[in-house]
Amino acid sequence: MFPSKDRAPSNAGAGAGPSAEIAAGSSASALAAAAAATRRGGTPASDGIELRLTGGRAGYGNVEVLHGLDLVIPSGKVVAMLGVNGAGKSTTLRVLAGLVPLRQGTLTWRGEVITKMSALDRSRRGLLLVPDERAVFASLSVRDNLMVVAEAAGYPDITPALDAFPKLRDRLPQRAGSMSGGERRMLALARALLARPSVLMVDELSLGLSPKVAAELFEWLATIAAGGTTVILADQYTEAALGMADLVYVLHRGERSFVGDPAELAHA
Amino acid sequence: MVSVELAIAGLAIGAVAALSGIGLLVTYRTNGVLNLAHGGIATLVAYVYREMTVEWGFPVWLSAVIAMAFLAPGLGLLLERLVFRPLARRRASAAETLVASLGVLVLSLGMCAGIWGLGTRNDTPSIFPDERVGSGSWSIEVDTLSTLALILVACVFLGVVQNRTRFGRQVRAVVDDRELAEMSSIPADRVAAVGWAFGTTLAGFTGVLLAPRFGLSPYGLSLVVLTTFAVIVAARLSSLPVAVLTGLAIGIAQSELTQFSVTGVFADTYRTLTSSLFVVVLLVLLLLSPKLRELGGDAGSAGRLSSREAPERGTLGERHKNLIIIFAGIVMLMAPLFFGAADLRKAFLVPALALIFLSLVIVTGYSGQVSLGVAGYAGLGALFSLKLEAGEFPGLPEMPGLLAILIGALLVAPIGLITGYPAIRRRGLALALTTFAVGATVTVFVFNQPDLSVGVYAEPLYLGGWMLNDKAFYIVEMVGLGLGLLAVYNLHRGRLGRALVAVRDHTEGAAAVGVDVRNLKLLAFTVSSVVAGLGGALLSHSTGSFSSTQFEPMQSLLWFTAVVVFGADSAVGAIIAAAFIVSINVFFPEGSSTLAVGILALSLGWLPGGLASAVRGLVRFVALRLADEFVEPEGTAPRPRIPSQAGVLTPAAQPTTGRSPAAVAPGGGVTVDLTAVDRVAAARGLTLTPFGRSLLGRLGGGAPAAALPVAASLPGPNGASPVTAGTGTLNHPEGGRP
Repeated sequence: MFPSKDRAPSNAGAGAGPSAEIAAGSSASALAAAAAATRRGGTPASDGIELRLTGGRAGYGNVEVLHGLDLVIPSGKVVAMLGVNGAGKSTTLRVLAGLVPLRQGTLTWRGEVITKMSALDRSRRGLLLVPDERAVFASLSVRDNLMVVAEAAGYPDITPALDAFPKLRDRLPQRAGSMSGGERRMLALARALLARPSVLMVDELSLGLSPKVAAELFEWLATIAAGGTTVILADQYTEAALGMADLVYVLHRGERSFVGDPAELAHA
Repeated sequence: MVSVELAIAGLAIGAVAALSGIGLLVTYRTNGVLNLAHGGIATLVAYVYREMTVEWGFPVWLSAVIAMAFLAPGLGLLLERLVFRPLARRRASAAETLVASLGVLVLSLGMCAGIWGLGTRNDTPSIFPDERVGSGSWSIEVDTLSTLALILVACVFLGVVQNRTRFGRQVRAVVDDRELAEMSSIPADRVAAVGWAFGTTLAGFTGVLLAPRFGLSPYGLSLVVLTTFAVIVAARLSSLPVAVLTGLAIGIAQSELTQFSVTGVFADTYRTLTSSLFVVVLLVLLLLSPKLRELGGDAGSAGRLSSREAPERGTLGERHKNLIIIFAGIVMLMAPLFFGAADLRKAFLVPALALIFLSLVIVTGYSGQVSLGVAGYAGLGALFSLKLEAGEFPGLPEMPGLLAILIGALLVAPIGLITGYPAIRRRGLALALTTFAVGATVTVFVFNQPDLSVGVYAEPLYLGGWMLNDKAFYIVEMVGLGLGLLAVYNLHRGRLGRALVAVRDHTEGAAAVGVDVRNLKLLAFTVSSVVAGLGGALLSHSTGSFSSTQFEPMQSLLWFTAVVVFGADSAVGAIIAAAFIVSINVFFPEGSSTLAVGILALSLGWLPGGLASAVRGLVRFVALRLADEFVEPEGTAPRPRIPSQAGVLTPAAQPTTGRSPAAVAPGGGVTVDLTAVDRVAAARGLTLTPFGRSLLGRLGGGAPAAALPVAASLPGPNGASPVTAGTGTLNHPEGGRP
């Protein structure tokens, strides 16, 4: 069903190895190196760590949502972030994207501290979030939705997106707001593709979608990941997310309650 | 019938209105902000332009360049950077943005009034030579011709930019969703800043073009600009050509009307119409056009302006605290009784103004509607009561003063009901504009009519044959204020109060659970208009006569801003706001209170909920600090840890997960080793909640290994614990927990 499932057994087979290493406190670079061999065209950072959040505290108004969260996102990996509603998944992604400021803690991207970097600069440098709602410019046509991103990225050509999602080809003049939920997610991912992300964060990909459509989108994400893009998935549709993930974080009430190989969570 | 000369004369004002409309549309289309401050900025730029030409002797062209090429766009950039960007950053509601633009308006008017006074100046030179081109009846002023050319250039330029360029596409993306635009590498701030600069530049042009024609006064000129909102309402906030054509059409129509004259009862009304067509068109468009209902989204829901979540829970402690506050308030309000005669007279204004503010608390703080027309209702209350007293109210006998005040206020109710009915069906910006238009129309057609409002004086008040002295009148005012507070109190508590808060916070949600939204809003609106009428009646009695300047439309905006600043849902805030404004007007030069309210309004960006909420927050903060100081810090550590025990299991318990059936299924009699968990917990000084225990037990039954993550969450010092030992591999190098 999910193409990444093919990878899952091999991962699971080797699963005990890398995760044991992680647990033992060895550097994550071994894990990254192992993964880089299975990917094409990946350009992992020198130490194999794409993003590192240390002691992250963030929230809205008087409410603190993340209470000192530590995250390490290895380069070129698929990282699943699981947790119930309100666990802080979306907030974590918004912190990584620069939409919610960190009150405490540091965020580094390939070794560079980006705690204070604006959301605009992060997206310009390829750290991209596809949010769970309002993921498209509803009042713009599909074509303009794609064009505006392609132009901002410096490559005003939308054919790669149309090749990836041929269904969008028939919808180009349509207002994005009048499309179905699944089509909108598709458009959102297509836009993300045009922005040429080096890190792609997707919030609740499967929310409100039929299993079939969700499966298609996961399939597409797997190909993106196979191209070397680091993918972070926050999702409740855990089977699919676990199926493609190299690493799983489970959040609970703004803290990390599990980290490790998906096989260990799935086969537990 | 159509006179060419009059049409060309009408073009002059129509063109300026169109230009103003273009500026408003650009700001709205690039930022999603309906800039109520447009008139304020126009006025400020015009004042500076006049200062440079008249006072400093700069040549006209140089002053024009400085004003329009530097000052006006600079103001726009400044506003974007300091006021509206922070609001957009924290995704402030449309209502908050509306209030911020009101704050800018009030601030700029306060600056003008503070620096140049409230008087009208008629010596502003026109930037274009006072000449005419063409011959005979077909000649047109250079001024008008240049404005028309400017409009044409602006329209073509904007049309090309919007539809043909990359920047235009970016603008539309930013307006659609600013946050998403930033996530898509679109420089939203730059787009917004350009939009603001362009909008304020056109505002500057509007001000400089209007000032020689209408005279320069802080309130007068901005009111003229505000009436040009008719143009953008007709354009439904989107179409540039419609806005331009509407502006020109109203200008021409207004001018053509002057060739006719009406005799009889409606003579004055008709004459007013020929100079106030923009106001009338604004009101008519807002009332008649059903499509305007969704104008500007949810801006009318002022929920975020209020800081209290629900009516008082009525715990004993709260009640005592409130009693103390009320008692302190009563003492403060009674203090003027011991003032000297002159000071007491000045204090007369406080309760009257407080009542008007209370009416806004009812309509904005409790039912969440933005009302910008309160001065109209207050003025009507004043006029009615004075007319009743003099026996000049048609159909009603002459009555004693006190009764006249009450009846006069009650007579505002039908008007509140009639105007409230269409108004409450409006939402968002449409509602704000509708209430403003009602107020402005009442001013123009009633308060400014010499026959109706000149020479209306308050008679001395009698109670049971005794003439009331100043102290007695102040006590009468207190009784009136008490009545207003009673109305607020009754609207705020119990079933009705809850329903009103529900309507304020989520109109659709309230309707969905069976709250009669429309009637509730109507009730709030009507009661509010009566309270405003009572305040107005007392206001005119404290000054001794009816004065239309006291109730002019701009006052509504100033008053609304003041109420929001001091906490839109706070009755106490309303009284403090009244005392604040009156005392500033007593102690400082004219216009200072406007300036002060404007400054406070801009601080709303940092103080959501107004000063009242900030004070509440401060009290809470001090109380917490004191509690920290004097109460033993007990059991601070466990809080975040206990929940995590239950929580780590929840991913496994997700019904959507593939393995959930196994995990959730009650295992055949196998129970998880809870004692181990208890031991770990005990070692760390924790207790398991019953909920966490039941979760552990349920989950552990089918899938013993699902308990593994518990270890990750409880890396106790005793690594020998069976659970921890079994799952040590799950610990990440970064450390499982802080």
